Order: sequence, then structure tokens, then C-alpha cells
Amino acid sequence: MTLDYFILVFISSLGVYQIAAIPAKLDGLCFFRHPVIQYIFGMLAIIGVFGWFFTSTDRNIHTSVEGSQQLGLFLGSIIASYVFTAILSSIMQAKVNSQGSTPREGKQYDMGIETLKKTTLFGGIMSSLRRERKDKV
Amino acid sequence: MPPLAGWTLWITGFVGKAPALDHVMRFLVNDFFIPLVICLIMLTLWLGYSDRTKRERIQRTIMNASVAIGISALFVKLINNFVNPWPRPFLVNDSVIRESARRAAETIFYFPHDPTFPSNGATIAFAAATGVWLGNRTAGAILYVLATLWAVARFYAGIHFFVDVAGGAVLGILTALFISKVFMPRVEPFPTWAMKLCRLLYLA
Repeated sequence: MTLDYFILVFISSLGVYQIAAIPAKLDGLCFFRHPVIQYIFGMLAIIGVFGWFFTSTDRNIHTSVEGSQQLGLFLGSIIASYVFTAILSSIMQAKVNSQGSTPREGKQYDMGIETLKKTTLFGGIMSSLRRERKDKV
Repeated sequence: MPPLAGWTLWITGFVGKAPALDHVMRFLVNDFFIPLVICLIMLTLWLGYSDRTKRERIQRTIMNASVAIGISALFVKLINNFVNPWPRPFLVNDSVIRESARRAAETIFYFPHDPTFPSNGATIAFAAATGVWLGNRTAGAILYVLATLWAVARFYAGIHFFVDVAGGAVLGILTALFISKVFMPRVEPFPTWAMKLCRLLYLA
């Protein structure tokens, strides 16, 4: 049950990140360039994993996954999913960029997820590291 | 027996009469569906704004709502430690109510044995709804609907009396109002530092 719940939260939050990234214009979190495909992917991920979780076995049973353990699993899972999304989108966008399109990077002084509007997570980290090195010099 | 205990007999009387309704209630009552949908809506709000100012404002709201969920759950634990005024409906002395609730719980859910008052589910769901409602009326209204559905489903399943879920809802709402309006502004700059840490980690 613990693993099932982790997978449920991991995949459903993956879908949420893809859907939420569209209005927020967080290109650095996107797996797809086309918002419609991204939206469909996000919805399918959420509906699919909910369908699997609630139809694979009876969930109305007493389990150890409750209260604080449920909260801990939820937080761990959404953070793991966020990191996975950021890494996968960094890899996918690097691949796309290497195939000809212009990478959206360069100097940026935004902080946090605002950075992901212009670059991927890796791009943001590299950019801030470069900036820090430059500041030291 | 709590006040309005007879309402349990009335609502659990519907169990088994409409299989479609029972099926929906089995889905709504469980420990994962509605809490997770509420959390995913909060996660969507956390990320889903393009404008930086609006996003920061809603992230503050979500942070307040999350703290309210945690504190209200703590209040429930504290109340459970000191007050346990009546047993679950399927454990009461009145045999008519007990048997009706037992049949409902068996059909819809399972037999939880932790204290019944106040309903933990209703408390945290209404705390989340109120916390979010203070920053986004539409999302807050959706969360209120979800919280109400969860509370009704638990009442229908015979695992709570009406007073348990109503008490939980009131506790959740009051806690969220206190956290958002009084507690969080008073503990500045800690919320600001938490937001800065999240921003540093690319989480906000």
C-alpha cells in the first residue's frame, strides 16, 4: 500500500506539474512544446493513475498509511516528482535544443521557479553557478 | 450518545437501498481520494500563476492553509487525548443505531477504532478549504464542496455521528482563520524565510 500510494502521488503530481506549467509559462518544466499535447499528457497521467489505484484492489481497508505517514509520503513523493520532472525536461530540452533550435538561456537573475520560465532547472543552476563564480572574480 | 444521534439511523438507513449511491460513497469516503484531490488542487495553485506577484500571494495562502492543516490535526490529537465523549456509532449501546451503523460501515468502509470526535477528515478538509478560500474564492469553493462530500460520506458510512463531522468542520474553519489571520502574520519573518528557502531550492 505504501508503494502504491507513493506511485499514485508521484504520477498524479507529474500530471499536475505539466498542466500547471502551461498557464504559469514555466517552459523549463515542460515535456512537450505543444500545450495541448502537454495538457492531454497531464490529464491522462492523473486519470490513469487514479484509475489504476482505485480499481486494482479494494482501498477501503485499514492500512498503516494514515495521518503523519500519509503526509510524509505525500511530501516526499511530490518533491521526488518535481525533481524527476525538472531533470527529464532538462534532458529533453537539451536534446531538442541540440537539434537546431535556439536554447533559451543566458544571463538571468530571477530566483526560484521564475527562472524556469526562461531555462530548465539545469540551465538555472548552471547560470547561478556561473554568476557566483563571476562575482567572486 | 451525542446530540442528533438519531440522524445516524436515518442516513445509514439508505445504505444498501441504492447500490449506485453506495458505490459513489465508497469512492468518496476512502482515506486517499478526496485528501489527495485537495492536495493536488493546492499544488496546482502553488505553481499555476504566471504573474510573480500573484503567484507569491497564492503561495503564501497555500503555506497558511498547509500550516492550518497541520495545526488542526494536532488539535484533533490533543482533543482525543483529553476528551472521548462517545464511541463510534457502530459501538454505541443503543442496539438499533449500532446495528444500522455496523451494517453501513461494513458495506461502505471499514471499522476504524480511533476516537470519533471530532472527525479528523472533516477537520483537515475544512481547514484546507478555508485556508485556500482566503486567497482564491473559486478554488476555496471547490475545496468546500469536496470537504462537504467527504464529511457526508463518512456520516453516510456510519463511522461518525453528525456532531463529529460538524464539530470537525467548525474546528477546521476556526483553526484556518486563526492561522491565516492571526498566527502567520505574528510569526514573521519565519514565513518569509520559508518562502526564500523554497525559492532557493527552485520550489517557489
